[in-house]
Amino acid sequence: MSVNRKALFRYWKVSQQSRVVATLQYLVFMASLVWVVVHGANQMGYQWQWYNIPEYFYKVFEGEIYPGRLIKGLGVTVDLTLWCVGFTLLTGLITALLRMSDSISGRWLSTIYLELVRNTPLLVQLYLFYFVFSPIFGIDRFWTGVICLTFYEGSFVAEIIRSGVQSVERGQWEAGDSIGLTRWDNYRYIVIPQAIPIMLPPLTGQIINLIKHSSIVSVIAVADLTTEGRNIIADTFMSFEIWFTVAGIYLVLTLSLSMFVTWLENRTRVRT
Amino acid sequence: MIRKNKKPRLNWIDFAVISSVVGFLIFVVLRVDSVLNYSWNWNHVFPFVMYLDEDTGQWVSNLLLEGLIITLRLAVYGIIISAVIGVVMGLCRISSNLFLRMVARSYVELVRNTPPLVFIFIFYFFLSTQLMPLLGIDELARSDSPAVKTMIWILCGDPILFSNFVSGLICLSIFEGAYITEIVRAGIQSIPRGQWEAGRAIGLSRIDVMRYVILPQAVSKIAPPLANQFITLIKDSSIVSLISIQELTFMAVEVGVSTSRIFEVWILVAVMYFVICYSCVLFFNWLERRAARSKR
Repeated sequence: MSVNRKALFRYWKVSQQSRVVATLQYLVFMASLVWVVVHGANQMGYQWQWYNIPEYFYKVFEGEIYPGRLIKGLGVTVDLTLWCVGFTLLTGLITALLRMSDSISGRWLSTIYLELVRNTPLLVQLYLFYFVFSPIFGIDRFWTGVICLTFYEGSFVAEIIRSGVQSVERGQWEAGDSIGLTRWDNYRYIVIPQAIPIMLPPLTGQIINLIKHSSIVSVIAVADLTTEGRNIIADTFMSFEIWFTVAGIYLVLTLSLSMFVTWLENRTRVRT
Repeated sequence: MIRKNKKPRLNWIDFAVISSVVGFLIFVVLRVDSVLNYSWNWNHVFPFVMYLDEDTGQWVSNLLLEGLIITLRLAVYGIIISAVIGVVMGLCRISSNLFLRMVARSYVELVRNTPPLVFIFIFYFFLSTQLMPLLGIDELARSDSPAVKTMIWILCGDPILFSNFVSGLICLSIFEGAYITEIVRAGIQSIPRGQWEAGRAIGLSRIDVMRYVILPQAVSKIAPPLANQFITLIKDSSIVSLISIQELTFMAVEVGVSTSRIFEVWILVAVMYFVICYSCVLFFNWLERRAARSKR
């Protein structure tokens, strides 16, 4: 027993050591990458102005704090994302229901919608909405962005919902049927409660995608985070600082959500 | 699901769906005709795909078709380069070396968690200022040697746009590489542990197990999502139009501005993308069915 323990201890020591070594290697590697970037920028005669960045986060004027341009842009991004999440769930739900329904035209419509969205680029869809549909319906830029992103993400959500519902076992449906539940009750009491834990992690993943894809509305000049970043760069030429800051803000948003997804996945796995 | 077996039939949902779709279409047509007073003129737009040269009597490709060709080139070369990146990084992702795992993980997470637009802008900035001079792409494009020139013509089109093309290609490949890394990792990890153990048991080294046992099996798992990624790549390539790579979307913006036939141009371009992507989908599905049949 004691021998085993010793071996175990030695193993632990070695793996601990290799972990430290690997972390050191990693840090050196990352530092050298950063050095390459900084060195390259310096050789171009780039002037780093990190001290100018905080004013784009907040401004203090007469003792009061005002949000800076990046924070305002972030607000628009979050606003856009939240509207889209709501509409996307609705679109996805309707599409999924139509796809699973008995109706012929419903299936056709949802299939056409899904194939159209899947086989054209988001950017082309955005241009199509901005140049073609928004003049037809007289919608402003922000809502064009919301509708376009909803149209795009709705297709993914529809598939998530459909696969979530269909992953509930056949026997569950049959059991519900045999105890005399109506179709609606079957959905409500048997299927939906089981499907939701399955759907939650991919749905959260879709929200991450939504945040990422929302940056594309900067093409039609909706004042979101990316647009603000581009405008500030156009004013001040601080390309590196601003782009890194913008990317950092997006990273914080998406990484924290994806950690949430991992947590959700672990939790559902434990429960089932 | 039980009700799937039932034959679809017309019911009240159909009436709701059909009437709302028809209503929507009538509304659109009315708005376009009466309020916007838009006069459709498709004849202005089609010559930008291809037109008949009166002097020589031959069909000549124009901006949109050339853009489409560049898009396809970006997609084909892009999938090759990003597959290489993906395989290397995917192997790093599952390697026993913690350092390699950390590097690959950082690459994947960084690329996947920044918006494509922001990634392309940042990366293009580096590329144009630092990486391109280092690779000597510009000198290559300007070289006088006829062999190099014909190579560039055949592979990438006009040498004037060569460095432009290459920078778009590198941006896209590094971007898609992160997604392919995950595909490769998932493909390799889907092979049961027993295969590894069996390989080791008959005395193969780790690399040999990978090469002769695991990878041949993983390839069949990796192929379908990789084909899917190719279609995604065609679609994502539209984003590099924002850094002035002259592919289909870029050309569409140009044509739309110069002819002011905006409705027709964008509908036509969307249809072009749809036809390309959907035919790829059908082709890959056919391949997959054939592969499944031959396996049986």
